Amino acid sequence: MAKNMMTHLVAGYPSMEESRRIAEELIKSGAGALEIQFPYSDPMADGPVIQEACQKSLDAGFKLEQGFKMVKDISQAFDRPIYIMSYGGPVYTVGVENYVRRAKEAGARGLIIPDLCIGLDEGLYAAGDAAGMEIVPVLISTVDKKRLEEILDLKPEWIYLVLRRGITGTYTELGEEQITLLKELQQRDVNVYVGFGIQKAEQVEMLAPISAGQIVGSQLVRAIQTAMVQGKDPAAGAGALLKTLLGN
Amino acid sequence: MNLVDSFFGPYGGRYVPEVLREPLEELEEAFTRAMADPAFMADLEKYRKTYIGRPTPMLHAENASRELGGADIYIKLEGLANTGAHKINNALGQALLAKRMGKTRVIAETGAGQHGLATAAACARLGLECVVYMGSVDIRRQKPNVFWMEMFGAKVVSVESGTKTLKDAVNEALRDWAATFSDTFYVLGSALGPAPYPHMVREFQSVIGREVKEQLDMDKVDAMIACVGGGSNAIGFFEPFIDEATPRLIGVEAGGRGPGIGENAARMTEGKVGIVQGYKSRFLLDDEGQVQHTHSISAGLDYAGIGPQLAALADTGRVEFREATDDKALEALKFFARTECGNFALESAHAGAGAMELAKELGPGKTLVVNMSGRGDKDLFITAGALGGEEWRAFLKDESERTYG
Repeated sequence: MAKNMMTHLVAGYPSMEESRRIAEELIKSGAGALEIQFPYSDPMADGPVIQEACQKSLDAGFKLEQGFKMVKDISQAFDRPIYIMSYGGPVYTVGVENYVRRAKEAGARGLIIPDLCIGLDEGLYAAGDAAGMEIVPVLISTVDKKRLEEILDLKPEWIYLVLRRGITGTYTELGEEQITLLKELQQRDVNVYVGFGIQKAEQVEMLAPISAGQIVGSQLVRAIQTAMVQGKDPAAGAGALLKTLLGN
Repeated sequence: MNLVDSFFGPYGGRYVPEVLREPLEELEEAFTRAMADPAFMADLEKYRKTYIGRPTPMLHAENASRELGGADIYIKLEGLANTGAHKINNALGQALLAKRMGKTRVIAETGAGQHGLATAAACARLGLECVVYMGSVDIRRQKPNVFWMEMFGAKVVSVESGTKTLKDAVNEALRDWAATFSDTFYVLGSALGPAPYPHMVREFQSVIGREVKEQLDMDKVDAMIACVGGGSNAIGFFEPFIDEATPRLIGVEAGGRGPGIGENAARMTEGKVGIVQGYKSRFLLDDEGQVQHTHSISAGLDYAGIGPQLAALADTGRVEFREATDDKALEALKFFARTECGNFALESAHAGAGAMELAKELGPGKTLVVNMSGRGDKDLFITAGALGGEEWRAFLKDESERTYG
């Protein structure tokens, strides 16, 4: 396994145009995949950094149509998997099948909807199957065995594994149990995007041999904020951080 | 494990990230066991009598009834419970459960501050650490409650995200809990959120309805009326009668400044079915599922969603809904203060306004019971600001100058 970073960004933050430029810059800087978050008013699984970015995007008038168009533009221009991340609220309101169809038309590879879990997913997994759209389950590393097997039974293409309890944006140290779980999943040929709390190149270095993909989220949003505060180009700031994390 | 059916008709459920599965399942099991344990129930009963001050009185509002010339009005004086509202019934129940589960830290969200206050009081009494999340807008609106929460030893955390009101405080509490549940219990204050909260809050609040049943001859009661924010006082007041054909059960939502998005919190007329904060119910949403702004003069009624069981009972027709505007609530507050010395909280004054209207509709010879879920001490600065005129303004200015120079 190698370094394969899925980079997170919020559609419409700092603006629609800027977020599209950031996505391109991340791809050029070595992103293996993009996780594009469509903002929601009540992002329960996100920390303050990402919530604030989502709120700003919504305040500026973000609409789903703009998000799907952004995904389409990027998917047509670059050969990188794009995952749309959002919440059950918007997905349910516009209709699960409708949402999946529009994501598909935009060229997204998959959907990450952390509060529509298997068993209480409003038909999301079935709709994904029918449309050929990956639905990526989001798990925590403390998941009990029984639940893990229930999820793996569905043979998801990828799983999104959160390496700690809680929310995005705080620094994570790798523990023995987490390493054991990652190695076990690797032996079973489960593709894992491992995430939350990646801030340093050493973390990526450590995770790369035991995971198929590594996620950077809040730290990228912080890099964008820092660049803006300093009057610099946010896309360049995001790209520079990614290069650092990749050790380039 | 499914000890309680997590749905009420199409509403309810447990739409949460995987990280919250474990604590919710643990909670469901602990709650179910506690309710079946006579020792826990005896403990709860002891605190109801000696700490909350139950049963709360039932007042025959003869002056008000006479003046309106309609149905006979009874007022359940739930606001006379310790800490000034029905919220203590649930906060104490959940805090006792926290203690039983061996949790040492309690977190809560609060809007008007009544649930935060009740939780802080219960934690002070039971020796639990307490953190209350409260939107910064609500902190400003309900400063007296913040003061008392801190006096009771709670840490009040100002929430600056989103609309800076109740729903944002719920988000923060859920986030805290996702990271801390091994030693932390989340005391949720309304009959909503992911299962088992709607069930648990209803059970702890149903003591209100059971007392009504003992205090009045229910064969003679035609209607019961309560205000509905999330709906905890209403569901507790209605609970023993839900499966009966009578009396009529009526919920009053915040009509705010009138119709239109952002002007009210009328989920039953302007809302739609959605999934927010872990449960499915009726919410004020835009076409893409974003939660809308709300308004009410009362900080306890301006939540964008309604408890799932009440939404289901509206579908079946068992519970009827109506609205009271800010102005009608203030009018009711003045009316009951003058006629009965009834000190209605602004939230409960919406039920009062509904009762005034309903008394006239029902006419003489009929009987209704209104739940005064809270008393209005906490609202002094809002109520006096709206009704006290120049004299109150001059007093505040003078007092401030005299005390602080």
